[in-house]
Amino acid sequence: MYRALTVTKKSNFQKRKLLPYLLVSPYLLFVIVFVIFPVLFCFFLTFNKWNIIAPMHFIGLNNYSRLFHDRLFWKAIVNTLQFLLLHIPLQLVVSLFLAYLLNQKIKAGSFFRASFFMPVIVSGVVVTILWQQLLGFDSGLINRMLMETGMNKVGWLINPDIAIYSIAVMATWKNVGLYVILFLVGLQTVPTQYYEAAKMEGATRWQQFYHITLPMINPTIFMVVILSTIGGFNLFIEPYIMTGGGPLNSTLSAVLYIYKQAFQYYNMGYSATLGFFYAIMIMSVVVLQKKFIEKEI
Amino acid sequence: MNIALRIIFIFSTCLTIFSCRNNSSQKDGQLLFWCSNNNQEIILCDTLTAEWNRNNTSVPVHIQPIPEGQSSEEVILAAVVGKTTPDIYANMWQGNVEMYAHAGVLIPLDTLKGFLNFIKERCDSNVIKEITSSDGHIYQVPWKVNPIMTIYNKNLFIENGIQSPPKTYSAYLQAAQTFKDNNRNSVPAKRFGYTEVKPIWYQMRFNFYPLYLAASGGAHLIQDNEAVFNNKYAVGVFRFLQTLYRDDFFSKESEGASSDVFVSQAIATKWTGPWEIQHLNSIPNLGFKYGYCDEIVPDDHKGPVYTYADPKNIVIFNTCKEPQKAWEFIKTIIDKEGDMLLLQVTGQFPRRKNLLTDNYFSSFLKDNPALLPFVKQLSYLKGDDNSESIVEVLDIISQEYEACVVYGKKTPEKAIADAEAAVNVLLKNEN
Repeated sequence: MYRALTVTKKSNFQKRKLLPYLLVSPYLLFVIVFVIFPVLFCFFLTFNKWNIIAPMHFIGLNNYSRLFHDRLFWKAIVNTLQFLLLHIPLQLVVSLFLAYLLNQKIKAGSFFRASFFMPVIVSGVVVTILWQQLLGFDSGLINRMLMETGMNKVGWLINPDIAIYSIAVMATWKNVGLYVILFLVGLQTVPTQYYEAAKMEGATRWQQFYHITLPMINPTIFMVVILSTIGGFNLFIEPYIMTGGGPLNSTLSAVLYIYKQAFQYYNMGYSATLGFFYAIMIMSVVVLQKKFIEKEI
Repeated sequence: MNIALRIIFIFSTCLTIFSCRNNSSQKDGQLLFWCSNNNQEIILCDTLTAEWNRNNTSVPVHIQPIPEGQSSEEVILAAVVGKTTPDIYANMWQGNVEMYAHAGVLIPLDTLKGFLNFIKERCDSNVIKEITSSDGHIYQVPWKVNPIMTIYNKNLFIENGIQSPPKTYSAYLQAAQTFKDNNRNSVPAKRFGYTEVKPIWYQMRFNFYPLYLAASGGAHLIQDNEAVFNNKYAVGVFRFLQTLYRDDFFSKESEGASSDVFVSQAIATKWTGPWEIQHLNSIPNLGFKYGYCDEIVPDDHKGPVYTYADPKNIVIFNTCKEPQKAWEFIKTIIDKEGDMLLLQVTGQFPRRKNLLTDNYFSSFLKDNPALLPFVKQLSYLKGDDNSESIVEVLDIISQEYEACVVYGKKTPEKAIADAEAAVNVLLKNEN
């Protein structure tokens, strides 16, 4: 009797101890197979030369040394930063402005919300092809309109000085709906009593926005900046489809360059090195942004 | 709960094990044959496979179009990595063979009984030399070619007073100027020609490389693991192409996949292969006539006009358990009957000698005069140089092409010299 009770108790104890592990095991397995193993393998690759089909060769730190002398990689980094320079502020200002308007009591608010969100759910490839038609040099809609009004055509995608900014505007249009929704949620959490009190004190609309709204939606601003920074650093589909990185490598983003190294030239080791370095760079930028935003707002 | 978890665990383990199996699950004695996934080639290979299976019940061939992917090269690479390669693959780009041969994933065909005799009978010595790997073995069966030539819109030529298709650089530029002058105010803009401007390695096979072969009489890009293209021909091609962009005869804008500027008559010429014939003939009410002529050559050019063959070949992977049987099957694809079927069904050209003079093919060619310019070109074709790094070599040239030809940022001499230097660094590092 006593023995049976002990066994049952032990068994129950084991079950209770094991059950959580069993429940998380599918996710754990997923993380091990699709995250931890690839990351470790990628790190291992950085010390090797490998073209996928032939055996690997250990080359020590050669890939890292090559990275620092690879002018095209640094050009791709500069291009990505140029893209972010326009993309992040534009994304932030436009989405906050639209969210602010939508937060007012306007007619057909839900229609506008849905309209702004529509590009987010449309495939990136479709959006890119659509914008390619708009920005075309000879047959693009925008240039045709310019010509109708007697102006000269603009090489939106064929002028190396402006192609990256054309892509930044397009990417902003594609993603702005998501951030509008985030800001809208943030704006709706600001208690109305604050505005009422400010009005009674004679604060103008701008003063209300600057002293109440902005500080209150600080976490949302932080989130939008972080998300659009990470999204911007991952710039790939747009240049891949629209320009292939051209003209003159002016739209070659860092991710596109990493992709080319891996799947065009089969330099898996070097591509992994670029990927690792780039991931560390993105993390550093995000940490800096966090510190800066927390300090400023 | 425990039972459910156990079932899930067993199910996922089985799923993992079964999904990781390689292609060795094919029935013993059966050959797996991958062909291209375009309709005509599927019909062709289906017919040839059915014929084989009727007569060879002991080693049946199972045909499967190559799985969908961004490019067949990527699919083959994935199959090699995953060890799921077929026994036979028909449609291998010649430029990729050397890489796979060095990796040891292809069967050296010259070790198979009867291979060398058959190939020597079918192909001339230049072709055999071209497909021989740097290690002296042959890993590919030369199957078909699609010569790159100049297609032109006959109606637009007549409308603009251009009497005959231009053959030399100066004649081409003169015709382009006439065309530009006549179409200055047209909306949307009309241009004399178009070739892709994106700096992508494979585009070089349709603009720079055929023109280089035409100018140089079929010279190499790489020889003895060294760049040999820094010569007057390559510089001349860059200068010719640069003029086309500088004088706005060609658009700097990428055409993209969504429009066909030749069909919409926005351009009068382009460099393309015979596949365009079937495409154009399939368009109802095309609205214009077209013709093909040789690649454009320098004004002082003498001798035959070479061009790029865009060769696609047949290989046997080392996962094949019966390579000799696989070769017996391949012979039925490339014998006279197989080659005739290739011509009839796909409109592509077998890489065999004497096609024009062989009575077996002459009646078909007489009935299809549109193919004649290509048949005449068959004696003056060149494939890809045997180099593991050919993709990177073409990519380096494409970067210089963009800087010099499209945007005029460099002189042709400087661009070609820079490309040569970069290619030599690459080839030195690779070895």
